[in-house]
Amino acid sequence: MNPITKNHTAVLQHLQRTLPAECLITDGAGLRPYETDGLTAIREMPWVVVLPETEAQVVDVMAICRQHGVPVIPRGAGTGLSGGARPHKDGVVLGLSKMNKILSIDPDNRVAQVQPGVRNLAISNAAKPHGLYYAPDPSSQIACSIGGNVAENAGGVHCLKYGLTVHNVLGVRVLTSDGDVMEIGGALYDNPGLDMLALLCGSEGMLGIVTQVTVALLPEPEKKSVILAGFKQVTDAGNAVASIIGAGIIPAGMEMMDKLAVQAAEQFAHAGYPLDAAAILIIELDGAEAELSAVTAQVIDHLNASGAYQIDQADDAETQARLWKGRKSAFPAVGRLSPDYICMDGTIPRHQLAHVLTQIDELSERFGLAVANVFHAADGNLHPLILFDANVPGQTDHAMAMGGEILQCCVAAGGTVTGEHGIGVEKLDTMCVQFTSDELDQFFRIKDAMDPSGVLNPGKGIPTLTRCGELGGMHVHKGRLPFPELERF
Amino acid sequence: MAADLSAQMISSVKDAYASGQSLVISGQGSKGAWLPDPEMSAGGTLDVTGHSGIQAYQPEELVITARAGTSLEEINAVLAAEGQMLACDPPRFQPTQTDGVVGDNASGTLGGVVATGLSGPGRPWSGAVRDAILGVELVNGKGEYLKFGGQVMKNVAGYDVSRLQAGAWGNLGVLASISIRVHPTWQDQCTLIFQLSAEQAQQKCLLLAQQNLPLQGTCWHDGVLSLRLGGHASGVAGAKLALSGEVMQGGTDLEFWANLRDHKADFFQQELFPQTLGIKKIWRLVVPSAAPLPGNWLSADDLLIEWGGGLRWLRHDDDAAVVAYVKSVGGWCWAKGEQMPIDVVQARYMNELKRAFDPKNIFLSPMVLNQSLHSNQQPNLQERQQHAD
Repeated sequence: MNPITKNHTAVLQHLQRTLPAECLITDGAGLRPYETDGLTAIREMPWVVVLPETEAQVVDVMAICRQHGVPVIPRGAGTGLSGGARPHKDGVVLGLSKMNKILSIDPDNRVAQVQPGVRNLAISNAAKPHGLYYAPDPSSQIACSIGGNVAENAGGVHCLKYGLTVHNVLGVRVLTSDGDVMEIGGALYDNPGLDMLALLCGSEGMLGIVTQVTVALLPEPEKKSVILAGFKQVTDAGNAVASIIGAGIIPAGMEMMDKLAVQAAEQFAHAGYPLDAAAILIIELDGAEAELSAVTAQVIDHLNASGAYQIDQADDAETQARLWKGRKSAFPAVGRLSPDYICMDGTIPRHQLAHVLTQIDELSERFGLAVANVFHAADGNLHPLILFDANVPGQTDHAMAMGGEILQCCVAAGGTVTGEHGIGVEKLDTMCVQFTSDELDQFFRIKDAMDPSGVLNPGKGIPTLTRCGELGGMHVHKGRLPFPELERF
Repeated sequence: MAADLSAQMISSVKDAYASGQSLVISGQGSKGAWLPDPEMSAGGTLDVTGHSGIQAYQPEELVITARAGTSLEEINAVLAAEGQMLACDPPRFQPTQTDGVVGDNASGTLGGVVATGLSGPGRPWSGAVRDAILGVELVNGKGEYLKFGGQVMKNVAGYDVSRLQAGAWGNLGVLASISIRVHPTWQDQCTLIFQLSAEQAQQKCLLLAQQNLPLQGTCWHDGVLSLRLGGHASGVAGAKLALSGEVMQGGTDLEFWANLRDHKADFFQQELFPQTLGIKKIWRLVVPSAAPLPGNWLSADDLLIEWGGGLRWLRHDDDAAVVAYVKSVGGWCWAKGEQMPIDVVQARYMNELKRAFDPKNIFLSPMVLNQSLHSNQQPNLQERQQHAD
């Protein structure tokens, strides 16, 4: 696609003078992959994508954009699920995928220094010879990049025990829109002054561009144990979760799936899930061999006491992988049941699970749309998948509206509209439900403090007060944004 | 006594905002010795200790919500009754009066824990204060009552304003309510001791950190390495067997780690070591765990090492020597009672962030963000970059 305005031409010429030709994409076919991220229904064809290879080039691109007053849209691997990397009609997409070098693996300090385009899983692979790994494992970990993980504060299935990205990143080099490069943190356990590192994690590319990341590495668990438990009642499964955690056990992972999700996953992956279960739990325990068998036995006692009617324990890697496969393929499996689905990402206090699931059932009936629930039970992160058919006129909006009501239930239950997928452009409207105008205004002042020229990823993350006002105060109308099938597992 | 004084806090801040007066936020004063007192020109103290009480606590949710003035003592007691604890194990310092006399047994408030962000001996294994924070409610410098985060583990809605409060020393607002993650107490614990030189101890710690061990603390001082194990009884028993050290007597070990955490250990008693030229400064050094130890410019008695090597306490009066050392190993240092060194460029952005919360600069924090006095203590970025390459 060619530049369409005079300003575009000026920016492009400036970029062409400054960067090697192989760092610029301007042709339609080359630009096409950048028109969307993992939220594929939200598209905007970019007119230029820059792929710098060095931090110095990133600094140059930023300077050019600032000088011409055009937005910069940072992008990692493009696996984000909330449209955070959606291009801007006037902006330059700044892809960091070419900055993909692992700079060092330091086993003594148990850190890795990497460039932002390094894939999440590549860090663990590089650390493996030292018996170390990088803990956060978003399900896109084979493709997603660490820079994007920092921008979204990515999670995964092991968060209760091992934390999110913010808990596992010790340092960043970050470029501000004013052109300052700051090195915050390092192989250090704390840093002087305000904790800008915490602020940058999850800031969706709106406060700075991360050009280097220092992550903490952990010793690989000596041993793992995976347990599958089937329940006749969803509430029993919920009680089992509370009982295990209440007993002082912190499992590495604890996942719940409801009946529809189990049936879809079983058809797809043949994991051996009980098809008559109202809910199943998949529990992973890990650690030193000395304690694992004792803890596993304790967990099984709790499952029995909570009414599990089927319990399978897997100690060998092959069976463990099979038990996980059903959960990990739940999204595409549900995708086979229905032409389209949307994935919600609310988080709730765990004790509200039965209450929220009942509300989701009621919404499902009222809207006439089926819902499969996949739940990171350990940390309260609920992923209801709403099934619909985008070819039926109005049904996309209908599903969107239902999703919005589910998120309102999550907020009302003391939770949040997004646990790990981010706001991006997808959930801007729901932010009006969760935050007051004073709070949104505070977010904007933070943005102004870090990015006074406002060129970094504008229009994402925080809804303007005008937008919330147009939505009718605290009530959110859905269906304003086209909603997508999420091509991801 | 539990009481909701948020309305008074809001009105105090609004008054200050209207009149342009300054406010110094104060809790129990247990950490007052860590930074210089703010210079009070005009204004008053905003005492938040009355705003106290536990607001929500369900043990199986692994989170407690309490007003900022709630004493750490109360929080710890309530958690202990349910077999839980604050994973970051924050220090319980004693208040120092203006005349330097150690005050009563008060050990700080939850708000103070968050505002100062100081973590205990288990930090590398159980996380820092900031890691445990799930949500805050605060009054910003305009007197607006704002809520960020919540009580859930995962939350990426909006910027992480909650964690930004940890270690902000009240620069950004008055904390009113805090939701903080809790952790089950260890089923069993013990401490193993080894007679080792500092170098040997460091090597041992680096090696052990790469294994699956229920490590919860390390401390080397004066030729002795103490390792704290804590967790499931079977794991502690297994590790004890594998490590085969001398077991510190039960009971003594609890006191040992509490004294270390709360700086009641002799090492931190400045008055116990009067030098001919005065009392030595106590330096807090945060460095990479594997960083080389200080050379013989430092007497071995004046070194205490925690966090598997990542936190080093020094008693020394030669600022230049300490700063040169920390610069050479890529860390940072802070002399107790003096300003923290903040990189000049970072300080500029921190000031802007303060302005975003407190546009009229009414909150007088002991942590001064716009100081450039100590900027030379930060390692040179270029050097660090070359080192990394």
